[in-house]
Amino acid sequence: MILKLNHLKVKAAAATQGVIEAVYALVGEGLIDQGQFARLQVELDWIQYKSNFREAVTATQGYNAMGQPCPIMDIHVDTRQVVPETLRTDLLRAIHRAQAGAEADACRLPLEEFQSLRSSIVWTFNRFFWRHLLAWEAATGKGYDKALPGGSSDGHNPLAIADDVAEFLDLLCDLRSRNQLPPEVNLLEVGVGNGSRCAQWLDQFQLLDQQRGTGLYSRVCFYMGDYSEDTLNKARLTVTKHIDQCRFVQVDAINPIKSLAQLRHKILQVHLTNVYDNLPDEEVVRRDGKLYFVQVRAYVPQTAVNSIGGKYGIPPELFRDRVYHMLETGFDSFGGPTHGVPFWQELWAAMRLEERLVQLEDLPEFPFPEGLDAGRLEDILQDAPTDFRFHLSSGALESFIRTLPLLHPRGYMQVFDIFVTDMAQYRTGFFGPGKLDGSLLNWVNGALLKEVAQREGYNVNFRPFKYRANTHTSILYTTRRE
Amino acid sequence: MTLPILPTAIVGSYAMPGWLERLKTDYFARRISRHDLDEIYDAAVKAAIKDQETAGLDVITDGELRRDNMVDYFAERLPGVQIDRTSKKFYYDFYDSAVMSKLPMASMGLVQDFTFLNTFTDRVPKFCVTGPHCLTKRIRNQFYPSEEAFATDIARVMNMELKRIRNQFYPSEEAFATDIARVMNMELKALVKAGATFIQIDEPYYSGFPEDLAWGVNVINTLVDGVNARIAIHICYGNRYGKPSWEGSYRYLFPTILKAKVQQLTLEFARRGGEDLDLFKEFNAPFELGLGVIDVKNTDIETPDMVAQHIRKALEVIPAEKIHILTDCGCFHLPRDVTFAKMKAMVEGTKIVRKELGR
Repeated sequence: MILKLNHLKVKAAAATQGVIEAVYALVGEGLIDQGQFARLQVELDWIQYKSNFREAVTATQGYNAMGQPCPIMDIHVDTRQVVPETLRTDLLRAIHRAQAGAEADACRLPLEEFQSLRSSIVWTFNRFFWRHLLAWEAATGKGYDKALPGGSSDGHNPLAIADDVAEFLDLLCDLRSRNQLPPEVNLLEVGVGNGSRCAQWLDQFQLLDQQRGTGLYSRVCFYMGDYSEDTLNKARLTVTKHIDQCRFVQVDAINPIKSLAQLRHKILQVHLTNVYDNLPDEEVVRRDGKLYFVQVRAYVPQTAVNSIGGKYGIPPELFRDRVYHMLETGFDSFGGPTHGVPFWQELWAAMRLEERLVQLEDLPEFPFPEGLDAGRLEDILQDAPTDFRFHLSSGALESFIRTLPLLHPRGYMQVFDIFVTDMAQYRTGFFGPGKLDGSLLNWVNGALLKEVAQREGYNVNFRPFKYRANTHTSILYTTRRE
Repeated sequence: MTLPILPTAIVGSYAMPGWLERLKTDYFARRISRHDLDEIYDAAVKAAIKDQETAGLDVITDGELRRDNMVDYFAERLPGVQIDRTSKKFYYDFYDSAVMSKLPMASMGLVQDFTFLNTFTDRVPKFCVTGPHCLTKRIRNQFYPSEEAFATDIARVMNMELKRIRNQFYPSEEAFATDIARVMNMELKALVKAGATFIQIDEPYYSGFPEDLAWGVNVINTLVDGVNARIAIHICYGNRYGKPSWEGSYRYLFPTILKAKVQQLTLEFARRGGEDLDLFKEFNAPFELGLGVIDVKNTDIETPDMVAQHIRKALEVIPAEKIHILTDCGCFHLPRDVTFAKMKAMVEGTKIVRKELGR
């Protein structure tokens, strides 16, 4: 058996002894056989997000490419949730469930079949959250920003904006000195929220432009992109003062170039804050030289089905249908958001993900996100740990790759987000998925983005976000490479 | 061999297949031998020639598939240039290279590649070489985003001037480029002796360093002195990783470029639009125009009508006898199927205009 401590929290180590004793006891009682014990990997995690998709103990069964169980099994213990008194029972239950595979479990109501996290229903919930954000905020009495670790978006940090504006103006002056300044100075922000960052940025640029006498403000074209027209309309009101400098574009964060193709090679700055961590993702496990794809199935514990269903008058046999109906049509079947939103919130809090590992035998045939293929992944993994689990960050990677062609040869792209900047970092912690209010949150595999971008002709660097203490945010900074 | 009116060609490189990229990188990782790689190159070049012929091009290149990039192929062959072979992991990266003494006059061995091309096509072969200005820029300064950054960092570390580092012998870039031109002049003459009638010189760095143009043109004239072939000079805005390195207008070329002793200027117009075509009229440029009608930085496939439109616009300022129809730049970064479809569109679009001209 391999025991891994995927964290640096001293408190979590206290659970280690208990876990070892419980596993040995189960082996001694014949509840885990010797063969399985030899291939068992027990991982102790400290789950950063109190609200997440895991039970205190989960077990993940491995399958070969033919769909038959293989001896690989991972047991994850969330040392933040686990209770010593129930550890043994939890372990045993988790192993039995994992071995049962896709078979019905009376204790769980599955909401879907096993599949990639990327296509899981949890992302439908995520989209539902953004579509009904106002209803959620009204019910909780606080804005989404308040759920963020610093209580506000790092993108709005005035010092960060001031530094960026100064750097950008330097770039424009340099281009002008070389007769290479385009007539229109294009900038793009994807995911503009209420438009507050754009407004602050333009305020600061206008001020600095006046102070330096550079006369460039009138050449600025700030493309404000968001997938939601409502959000753009809201943002429009925030930038009224700079309205002549702003353009409003409906942009799919996963494919920005689709709606901005006319700006290929013409944008001097692209900015995103906390967009990538909320894009669909999937995970891969490397074990004993083989790669396994993590499949998930969302479920609601039957106890929650009974309690939530009882409260809202939904019989257990209709519960799943009502969930899908809500996701498709909103809160009409609840008579409106007054009852619908609390149902949604309780359901989301109760939702969990179970997992299984499926061996990737025919790697070149795997549906990799754009920018990645089997050969590149193999190259990237050459210097990575031999035994670990990592995000493919599929949505973030596709968004990144489909944004880079917009950059002017001297342009740069900056992304404020939570990044894993080195593959080895995956051995030191759990990086999602977690829940943030009604949305989903995953750290972004920055190391992977960096490698892929290099092959596409870009340099990627990570800078610490120095404007807020104890933050996990870092800045991905991208420019063209030679 | 007579070319038709509005002859068609690619600028130089053909689509680099993903499998060949893997094999090139395998070679650097010592997973396949040089002998195997050379055999693979032969097969790939033959396929590239066949694709161009099948698409209907009139002038054929070897697709430059033996080259890792437009610099290293020459840096490796230039006598006197030292290469750090450990300095790249991915084949497309640039080597770290330096020149420490005067370049000796010696063969670069390009004739062999031309002969291979000439053996496998019966159409007009075009052989492309990277120009001395570009080689001077790359060999001198491999890693830094600008000379200023390079100089600053070097000065900090070694307290030396930029111009004395990668180039530890020549007093100026112009002197270095001129000597490269002398060595390559001998090579171009050898190519002509082997049957080359059409040679293209690639100078993409002019657009990034317009202040070098005056000496850049002198160097070109040294390079082509006594070379009895049609000489084209290709000037674009860069195509590293299939992306432009600079933006701007070709106006910076004029009137200095008029002193270049070449027959053809090959410029990109498909991606950038045709505004700069008027410069040919304004300065009464004596050159043939290699007219870029295919955008190689975009996988969208042009229609024949779009190609015909580009050509008609050029015909407003330059007679058909002085126009060659080309891609904007090399097709290195495009997928093979896209490249083939673009070449077909280029040929079909050219046929439309030839028909309109009654030729």
